[in-house]
Amino acid sequence: MRQALHIFKKDIRHLWIEIAVTLLVVAAFTLTGARQALWLADPAVNTSMATTLVTSHGVAYRGATNPAVNTSMATTLVKFLLPLVWCILIARLVHAEALPGDRQFWTTRPYAWKSLLAAKALFVAAFVNLPLLAAHIAILLAYGFHPLSELPGLLWSQVLITAVLVLPIAALSALTTGFVQLLITGAVLWLALAAWNIVAPFYLVDPGWRALEWVRTYYDIAVLVLATLAILVWQYARRKTAAARRLAVAAVVLVALGNALLPWTAAFALQSRLSRQPIDPASLRIDFDSARQWAARALIERGDRVWIEIPIKIAGIPAGMTARYDGVIMAIEASDGSTWPPDQQPWSHVIGRDQVLSLQATVNGGFYRKVKDQPVKFRGAMYLTLYGNQRVTDVPFSTPPMAVPGEGLCTASPGAGRKSYYLICNSVFLDPQGPPSYSPFPADLAFDPVNSHRTYIASNYYPFPAFTAATVQTSEPLAHLRRDFDIGGLRLSDFEVPLKPIP
Amino acid sequence: MSDILRTIDLSKRFRKNVALDRMNMDVPEGSVYGLVGPNGAGKTTTIKLLMNLCEPTAGRAEVFGRDSRRLAPRDLTQIGYVSENQEMPEWMTVEYLMAYLKPFYPSWDDARATELLRQFDLPRTRKLRHLSHGMRRKAALASSLAYRPRLIVLDEPFTGLDALVRDELIEGVLGNADGATILISSHDLAEIESFASHIGYLDRGRLHFSEEMSSLVERFREIEITVAAPSPLPAPWPAAWVNAEQSAAVVRFVDTQFQQDRTMAEIRRLFGDVREIAVNPMPLRAIFVTLAKAGRKAA
Repeated sequence: MRQALHIFKKDIRHLWIEIAVTLLVVAAFTLTGARQALWLADPAVNTSMATTLVTSHGVAYRGATNPAVNTSMATTLVKFLLPLVWCILIARLVHAEALPGDRQFWTTRPYAWKSLLAAKALFVAAFVNLPLLAAHIAILLAYGFHPLSELPGLLWSQVLITAVLVLPIAALSALTTGFVQLLITGAVLWLALAAWNIVAPFYLVDPGWRALEWVRTYYDIAVLVLATLAILVWQYARRKTAAARRLAVAAVVLVALGNALLPWTAAFALQSRLSRQPIDPASLRIDFDSARQWAARALIERGDRVWIEIPIKIAGIPAGMTARYDGVIMAIEASDGSTWPPDQQPWSHVIGRDQVLSLQATVNGGFYRKVKDQPVKFRGAMYLTLYGNQRVTDVPFSTPPMAVPGEGLCTASPGAGRKSYYLICNSVFLDPQGPPSYSPFPADLAFDPVNSHRTYIASNYYPFPAFTAATVQTSEPLAHLRRDFDIGGLRLSDFEVPLKPIP
Repeated sequence: MSDILRTIDLSKRFRKNVALDRMNMDVPEGSVYGLVGPNGAGKTTTIKLLMNLCEPTAGRAEVFGRDSRRLAPRDLTQIGYVSENQEMPEWMTVEYLMAYLKPFYPSWDDARATELLRQFDLPRTRKLRHLSHGMRRKAALASSLAYRPRLIVLDEPFTGLDALVRDELIEGVLGNADGATILISSHDLAEIESFASHIGYLDRGRLHFSEEMSSLVERFREIEITVAAPSPLPAPWPAAWVNAEQSAAVVRFVDTQFQQDRTMAEIRRLFGDVREIAVNPMPLRAIFVTLAKAGRKAA
């Protein structure tokens, strides 16, 4: 430990300019974050922004929600600079005792590799993690949050920044001898991943991960953490650069392939295990919705294709809960043994829609003509999430921020002349108004600790009645389950909508 | 004397290029071992293998009786290493370099460190990047001698230095060695000759000989024979006689295994009536050039 501290002190002396610049940028980040809190708390700012929105579109909005972000030049610049100065600091730190090569002064000196690695880790903790943690705490305080009650998010945010930024930059630096080499390597890796992201969609079907996207993200993070830790330990212990570089390439390939080949169904199975409330899937029933039989269609399309849509209903949902559709797999089976799709069904051919659900598929004309007069079965499985714990909270206008479960701290304020009302909610490390996510972790990956959203109603013509409070309804995803279905006895010709001739 | 450095069939290959081919070398404790050879002979590779800066393709090297691949920080506290290729922490001042290194070495001697800085006339407050080439080399050496290492490894330490700095460095090394074993590689023999006790000659990755300096100088002689009548060189020509030249009645060659009685008898057997035989001792530089030429001819 003594040697680690000795090296740590040397690095501070060596990199004091980089440290000073980094701390300056972190201070600027804290200031802009705190200013954003004050800016959001200013009713005059909210009024003027909302007025602009209304007049520029010429119509009134009702209950629209948008992210409330101050996109000033300073804020944008700071958010660009922050990762940049960290990258430079970490790279310079690792390169101070460069690992590849055989000319470095330190390699023939009695450095203990564990001490050297510990010194570097201590430095990163002291000048990357700790200042960011302090900045987050300061910003939370500015918004009116109590940092101790947000401790899990604060700590998890540090874990994410370390996993996604600190470790990869440190590992890349451990594989290179200088900053230029690091930049070139980073650019090559980035280009390779970008090229893959362009090419992959042509060959692979993406079911649309939506709220399960976090599984894929955490798969990437897990690969990154394991690979970068292995590279760092391996390099510091043995300095086998060629082998460590091969490991880095393997990690990039694993991330690219994992993103493309990770099965959505496996991710959902994992999600089911994380359900907060156990619900037996057998208690749900999925049937043909005969009350909406009018919505059933077998629409003959051009190009010898038929669009099939079958309305369904889900029964047996426990009281106080609502079901949200996550995904569906389905096959159409005729009594003569014909099946659509003939092989593995791609997700993109079968789509559902929120609470009013329909099974949809495009089949080819040959299959349709063959089975349309036979009874057919729609057999498959639906992946559902049940929401519950619904809570209703009234946020009175023009009072200090109040806690709304699941949303954070909210304030409501009326605009001038009762022509607009605003509700601003600030949530810590998570974004409840953003794309839905079932992530069980207390923080998402972001530099900003607070996500702000403004919901408002505005009228350009008539004042609203004198409201006293905004009402916020929240519910939580409690159970994720797969329910198999088998809907039989339908004759497709009963729903046929013939092709209209082009006039 | 036990061996402090040893290589056993040590080989190193860089793709298809053989940098070192089954090298067997022993460096006795307390010796000053000069590893000589032309550029590209494999001297630096040998030293890198000994210092665990790269891994052998085959064979092994031992330092203090331990496989060089297992050299631990404890072993490195007893080794002082200076190389012409070494990248120093150029942002450090001379004084900070010494202060920084001190805690790494339990045997660090402050008085010795101060004396070395004085002896090498090193400006304490100047950064290494602002020092001249020679001064930087001196700083590296000072920082490698201040802890009284048991083994000093110098890889081409005098390359690119003027004669004065070179002498200062040699003086510094020898004056502060305290009986340490010194391994020094060089292609400049003049400086090695003056203080090496043992010598190893490396060419194209092969160690041609490794022996005490005194025996080496004893066994190399330049011989000039004046024969009665010019005639072609006799065959078969002894393998130990290299770089043979003939000019009318005068034949010159270098005997690499000179022994007075045996060499004279062999000359008489091959040349018969010889008018005159001149036997001249050779400086190390001449031996080196002879071997290099012979090696090229053989190749």
